[in-house]
Amino acid sequence: MTEIIQARQLTKRYPGDVLAVDQLDLTVEAGTIYALLGPNGAGKTTTIAMLTTLLQPTSGQATVAGFDVVNQPSEVRRRIGVTFQEIVLDQDLKGREVLDYHGQLYGLPHSQRAQQIEALLRLVELEEAADRLVKTYSGGMKRRLELARGLLTAPDVLFLDEPTQGLDPQNRSRVWDYLRALREEQGLTILLTTHYMEEAESLANQVGIIDHGKLVTEGQPEALAAQLGADVIRVSGSGPVDSFVTRLKQLDYVQQVHATDGVLQIGVDDGHHRLAQVVTLATEADFHIEDVSVARPSLADVFLKVTGRALRDA
Amino acid sequence: MTATFSLWHKHMRKFFRNPEAAFGMLLQPILWVVLFGVGMQAMLGRSGSVSLSAGGAGSYIGFMVPGIILFSALSGAVSGGATLLDERLRGIIKEYLVAPIPRYSILLANALSTVTKGLFQAGIILVLALFFGSRVALNPLGWLGGLLIVGLYGLGIAGLALAVAARVNSTLGYHGLIALDLPLLFASNALYPIDILPGWMQWVARFNPTTYAIDAMRWLVYGIRYEGQANIWLSSGIVVGFAVLGMLLAVRAFRGEIKQRGGAI
Repeated sequence: MTEIIQARQLTKRYPGDVLAVDQLDLTVEAGTIYALLGPNGAGKTTTIAMLTTLLQPTSGQATVAGFDVVNQPSEVRRRIGVTFQEIVLDQDLKGREVLDYHGQLYGLPHSQRAQQIEALLRLVELEEAADRLVKTYSGGMKRRLELARGLLTAPDVLFLDEPTQGLDPQNRSRVWDYLRALREEQGLTILLTTHYMEEAESLANQVGIIDHGKLVTEGQPEALAAQLGADVIRVSGSGPVDSFVTRLKQLDYVQQVHATDGVLQIGVDDGHHRLAQVVTLATEADFHIEDVSVARPSLADVFLKVTGRALRDA
Repeated sequence: MTATFSLWHKHMRKFFRNPEAAFGMLLQPILWVVLFGVGMQAMLGRSGSVSLSAGGAGSYIGFMVPGIILFSALSGAVSGGATLLDERLRGIIKEYLVAPIPRYSILLANALSTVTKGLFQAGIILVLALFFGSRVALNPLGWLGGLLIVGLYGLGIAGLALAVAARVNSTLGYHGLIALDLPLLFASNALYPIDILPGWMQWVARFNPTTYAIDAMRWLVYGIRYEGQANIWLSSGIVVGFAVLGMLLAVRAFRGEIKQRGGAI
């Protein structure tokens, strides 16, 4: 499989010594969906900006679709589609016009443009709204139009920065459906950033967890979560943590224990059946439990484990 | 070049779709000619003082028409700059920056839409002024030459407005700086002949490209010559130079701003 995005030691330092992206190494295989998962401020948007030639890296290098982002930006631009975190549509144009002007900027000849526009309006279900002004669209419709715009030029790679932010669940799963279909039917490569764990779990072949500008871990979502155990018992509370942890580790069904800031993630083989014993152990260790839950391990658990912070609170 | 055309087309389409903007574009010159011009003319009398009738423009209205035309172009340039600022602040410009188009086409398309609007207004004002008694030269080449001067002047001030719009970070900041545009009109021979001005102001007017554009337009469109009028080749040359300088400043400011925030050209 070819590597269609390659970043080596990508770094961005802003004036005032703000290190937004710190020596990031990233590889994305063609025809896959890669999700860059991390909280707001982690450096996701900055990373995408560098890969889409909007921002100059401070150091490091990256190639997209075989071309260097710094030395061959035009070649990269010709081959990519991008959507941004904010809606960046011209409100005073009709949906169809937005797509048409976009196609012109990429040198798409007239007949091809018209064809592509129809096909994409159909894909994102905006055929009826196409001749209305964008300012009359709902938030979900605008996002879908932006997706159509990003796909208009049949790019090799599609970059999506927080593609479903602010969307209701219905629109969100519609967008997910479109993206999955595009990957399956056309072999499109997609790099998306998100802070929604469900989005990464649901869409991605490969997930990279990013925090404070660094890529902390990478892998298939199921594989990353499985590293934590078949089930995870989460216990939060206060008291002698070390004593509790030592007792836990002695149990043969406990695969691993990870403790951060009063939250313990205990990877076990069967959470529901082991719960009672875990609670008993806590009492024996004088650990005062405030909250306990059992669940299949999720990327949020992975995030907590590798960064020491909760994805939602970060 | 096609990118420039596409973006120009987009600007023009949005403009004509907005009835208030198109209406305002027509209203302003009408107000100048009908209200200001008529009033001034009445104050000065038909023949007025010798220099004011500028040897054959026929009336104060004829005298001030070039200035009104250029001022309309100037207002157009201000709103063109506001459009660029809006596109920058709302992130629309990211669509342009991520597309495989040359950076200068973003600015050129904007400047050319200013010029296009300026030429429309020029046509309307010239015709309107005819009804109010100005006498124009009957040489169509003169008219075309005058419009060319308007177009070049428009490029120059569009460039200046875009240079400001490229660097400021707020609408308030933009309008604060742009308020300095009115002096361009007042410190020139647009509204009064240059020799009635105090010495220091004559100096300023002599360095103001507006003065030369006006000299050229009066020469071309009205076929009039007067004392102190700059030679037509000199005037034209200065206006061309102004156009080039204005656009270069815009490009420089635009690239500078991108570099400053760590962007890629």
